[in-house]
Amino acid sequence: MPAYFDDQDLAHFGDLKQHAPELWAAFERYYAAAFEPGLLSKREKVLIGFAVAQVSQCPYCIDSYTQQALEQGLTMKHLAEALHAAASLRAGIALAHGLVAHNVDRKISM
Amino acid sequence: MTATLPLSRFGDRVGAAVGDLRAAGPTTLQVNVGKRCNQACRHCHVDASPTRTEVMPDDVLEACLDALARTPELDTLDVTGGAPELHPRFRELVSRARALGRKVMVRHNLTVQHEPGQGDLPAFFAAHGVEVVCSLPHYTEEATDRQRGRGVFAGSIAALRALNAVGYARDPALVLNLVSNPVGAFLPPAQADLERDTRAWLRARHGVEFNALFTITNMPIARFADWLRRAGTYDAYMARLEAAFNPATVPGLMCRSLVSVGYDGRLYDCDFNQMLELGLEEGRPSHIRDFDRARLAERRVSTGEHCFGCTAGAGSSCGGALA
Repeated sequence: MPAYFDDQDLAHFGDLKQHAPELWAAFERYYAAAFEPGLLSKREKVLIGFAVAQVSQCPYCIDSYTQQALEQGLTMKHLAEALHAAASLRAGIALAHGLVAHNVDRKISM
Repeated sequence: MTATLPLSRFGDRVGAAVGDLRAAGPTTLQVNVGKRCNQACRHCHVDASPTRTEVMPDDVLEACLDALARTPELDTLDVTGGAPELHPRFRELVSRARALGRKVMVRHNLTVQHEPGQGDLPAFFAAHGVEVVCSLPHYTEEATDRQRGRGVFAGSIAALRALNAVGYARDPALVLNLVSNPVGAFLPPAQADLERDTRAWLRARHGVEFNALFTITNMPIARFADWLRRAGTYDAYMARLEAAFNPATVPGLMCRSLVSVGYDGRLYDCDFNQMLELGLEEGRPSHIRDFDRARLAERRVSTGEHCFGCTAGAGSSCGGALA
């Protein structure tokens, strides 16, 4: 195995189906339904997918959702705004967890 | 070159979906008056640039007008290039076609208005009721300039304002449509969505109005194909186009309703086949001086792998999406 991540891997995503076909089929239905346009547009859902891919640090998803976003008429300028929104939330989340330390300190320190 | 029709994966896919791809009698004469252009865009399927010298000669231009005059079913003249306005007899071609009562569309790159002697193009277009089809790949400056060259977006906005100022997209008789193509190796977005976003952005930020926006897929030929190969994405792009084959686009394919005339007068099924020198089916008129609508009807369209560009996703044509 030359690398853990390969840009050709995504084409073989469906190979996983063989190990649990019924669960895989359920996942495919759920995934397709979740990304159908509803109250949110297809483009809004693709942007959510892009942001989740970034903060989840999934190279496959980042590749896929970047291409999908471009095909939704968005540019790297749009994606940079989404990236910063997601990244700033991650920063805020890290800081918010500081409250745990803060509370522990309050509890056990003099 | 007259094509012997190649067997292709595209032909197989179309054949399986709808049978033979055949044209109706043409209603549009699309004339490419030359490859000279003031721009040298990275996606250009014509390889047009300021250094190109191919120009439609007088006898071919007269033959185009003659074909229009004796073929009332040709209701539209679609003028393209290069930048067609740079042809020395461009304005005469337009005014004589209008005098024949034909609708005239001009594929207008906008920035040609800033070339010497072209500043009055908006007034000329308006005076002759020309429908202008203007290239603007994206409503953001960064994306448009990346494809068409630095400063093109600003020049295009100034040119759009000049068209608005003479009544385009304000007077119902003066139609200004935009054409958007992806800035890269991917399919265009949904036409209605991009039209909505472009209209809102151009109106709010630049005070620009337009009638409709057409999305067009980048064709994997000529300069764009060279770019794909250099970027190492040619195979992936072709696979993307083929995987997105949509049989619902086939009835509206532009090759079924137009005939394309090269600068040298040779006839083709479309502007893309023209650039590939993929001629009409054998036994059909091959030059504009032999134009005969009845003999062009029901011709079998010459196809190749590049045709997947017109059938991918929502489809692509000179009038935008097809399905």
